[in-house]
Amino acid sequence: MILWILLGLIVVAMIWAIGVYNRLVQLRENVKNGWSQIDVQLKRRHDLIPNLVETAKGYMAHEKDTLEKVIKARQQAINASDLKDRQQAENLLTSTLRSLFAVSEQYPNLKADRQMMQLHEELTTTENKITFARQYYNDEVNRLNTAVQSFPANVIAGSFNFKKNDFFEIEDAAQKETPKVKF
Amino acid sequence: MPYSFTQIEEDKTRTIGFVFSFLILFYFLAFWGIAMVVANAIAYSEIPTYEQQSFVFFFLDFPTTLIILAIACVVGYGHWSYTTSNLIKKMLGVLGAEKLNEKDTYHQMFRNILDEVSVATGGVKIEGVIIPTMAMNAFALSDFEGHHVLGTTEGVLARLSRAQIEAIVGHEVAHIVSRDCLATTVTSSIFALYGGLLKGIELMLRGSGRRSSYSSRGRGSGGGAVAVILLIYILLLLTKFLSHLVRMFISRQREYRADAISVRLTRDPLSLAEALYAIAYHWRGQELTAQEMEAIFIVNPQYAYLDEHEGIFAELFSTHPPVEKRLGILLEMAHADVEQLVQGVKKLENKPRTQVPEAVGIDTKWMVHKDGRWQGPFELVQMATFDWIEPQTWIKRLDEDKVKPAYEDQALAGVLGHSDEMKEASEKCPRCHLALSKVYYEGVELEKCPFCHGVLVHENDVKRIIIRQDVGFSEKVKHIAETIKKTADMFMAPAIKRNPQTLFTCPKCNHPRNKMHRMFYTEVYKVEMDRCFACGSIWFDHDELEVLQYLIEEATTRA
Repeated sequence: MILWILLGLIVVAMIWAIGVYNRLVQLRENVKNGWSQIDVQLKRRHDLIPNLVETAKGYMAHEKDTLEKVIKARQQAINASDLKDRQQAENLLTSTLRSLFAVSEQYPNLKADRQMMQLHEELTTTENKITFARQYYNDEVNRLNTAVQSFPANVIAGSFNFKKNDFFEIEDAAQKETPKVKF
Repeated sequence: MPYSFTQIEEDKTRTIGFVFSFLILFYFLAFWGIAMVVANAIAYSEIPTYEQQSFVFFFLDFPTTLIILAIACVVGYGHWSYTTSNLIKKMLGVLGAEKLNEKDTYHQMFRNILDEVSVATGGVKIEGVIIPTMAMNAFALSDFEGHHVLGTTEGVLARLSRAQIEAIVGHEVAHIVSRDCLATTVTSSIFALYGGLLKGIELMLRGSGRRSSYSSRGRGSGGGAVAVILLIYILLLLTKFLSHLVRMFISRQREYRADAISVRLTRDPLSLAEALYAIAYHWRGQELTAQEMEAIFIVNPQYAYLDEHEGIFAELFSTHPPVEKRLGILLEMAHADVEQLVQGVKKLENKPRTQVPEAVGIDTKWMVHKDGRWQGPFELVQMATFDWIEPQTWIKRLDEDKVKPAYEDQALAGVLGHSDEMKEASEKCPRCHLALSKVYYEGVELEKCPFCHGVLVHENDVKRIIIRQDVGFSEKVKHIAETIKKTADMFMAPAIKRNPQTLFTCPKCNHPRNKMHRMFYTEVYKVEMDRCFACGSIWFDHDELEVLQYLIEEATTRA
């Protein structure tokens, strides 16, 4: 009798373990999918920048600095090897691009340029996609991390080597800085 | 999906089950009723005349009822499978939606926004469509095969900002990912089958009524047929009533939920509030065929009294919650007040417009600085073919002393950088016989003569240009438009002089005999244009397109 109860318990535990394992696999796949989405969009942005600089150069002779900064930031982002470096480089690229578009506001002819308008739209949509992809990725990482750490699923996660993932964070100086209150 | 409330919604597939049972019940009751009337009538006619007072009304017996139930199941299933096959295609046909035009910048933007929101959901595939109307609304459709379609109107693309469109798309995508979209698509289409039949019979009845008043003969023989048609008509009217009843199965809560998911996706409650406000207090699409399918839209195309109220009755029968309440919830999320909301919408209405460059005189010539010396003079047409001129190349007009970079010359801006396209282009200006160059105007690609500034547009594109409001109008355009209005008021219809010698050959078809017709755009907007009936191209002379835009815009904003 006791043997049967024990056997029953083991079967229940097995079924539970399989369920948890499958859920963890699903979460890990979602995280991978999220990361590949970010990757695709970052590459797309790298591809767009040379065209952008080429188009802007004709109109913005006095803004060589800004343009060079963008090119340098792009090169850095391409060369970055590990995740931490890459995040930093990409965030730098985002802010240099933003300043480039801010400066281009002063050149109405550049803004009216057909090619520039198209590039602007392309870059805007890519930027938005990066934001959304990061949002999705972070949500999924959050779910995976919670699942991996919470008891009793952490037993399964530990024995099958499911690990916590890092978030893709924004380290844009302008966004991180808390507003200073002055009286 | 990481949205906890979508799980609730996923159970809602039972809505579809409800609708299916409802359909079978409807057929069962209808057939049963008809069978009973017929059976009683037969029994009545079989009773000898002198005993007719003793007639007793009877119900059908159980076996017959079972047979009728079986028939109802078969017919109901047939109806169901007819409705659900090719579901999206049929709905889009009724809505008059069109595919996105890849060359149109507004459509490109819409496509991009769809892709962005799709990324935010982890990659749901969505097709975009557009209803070419000035009305403002948006909708989503899904079918059983997992295809998703998201559509909006030209009015939305023309009048809302990128962030606002993004918020609306987020709302519609929410319906798709939470899967309540499938239920609304099915319920909206299930009785649409009879909508067309109903309209046909109504037309027929009206027609026959008029005819019978003229001819009294043959009325007796047609009486039976009219009675049958009337019976069918009444049955169809019943289906129309039922299609309203089916809305009971659609909860108005789903709109609140979709708003919430949209905010979660785009993190921008204020833009969604602004968009809802702009749609609700604008033309939402009333009187379009679309209004029959209110459940799939973000805001009910018809202003419905019930929608703006609460209570059990409204909860049951209306498909959309009060707009005010939705706005209130969103504004609270955004920590904003109504003042901010109204200002956001107003700002968009008064956005700055660009000016179209003026045409240059025939004898304008340019000098160009190349290889360290001044070359020229060149005419505009020649300038357009030089692919070595860059935006920064120094140029000088012959009649001016000022030396400036090429990009500062308004007249050149439109023609430079198109040399590759110019060489390929075989289309020539019907007036000047110069190669037309491709330009973008109000987001639409059209062909413009660099010299006389006339434009060649496709008739479908004209509709889109009229809806959009990027370009401002010069005093000259306004003056011409006002003159046209005045003369149209004074003389009923100023005739167009049609001289076969001066008719244009269509630049697209180049047909030697099929000439373009000189005509007014419509009898209301008497702007002259040349139309090719073979390919649908329209030629507008300089300023004529702008005048047309100005006239229509003025008429619609005044209303």
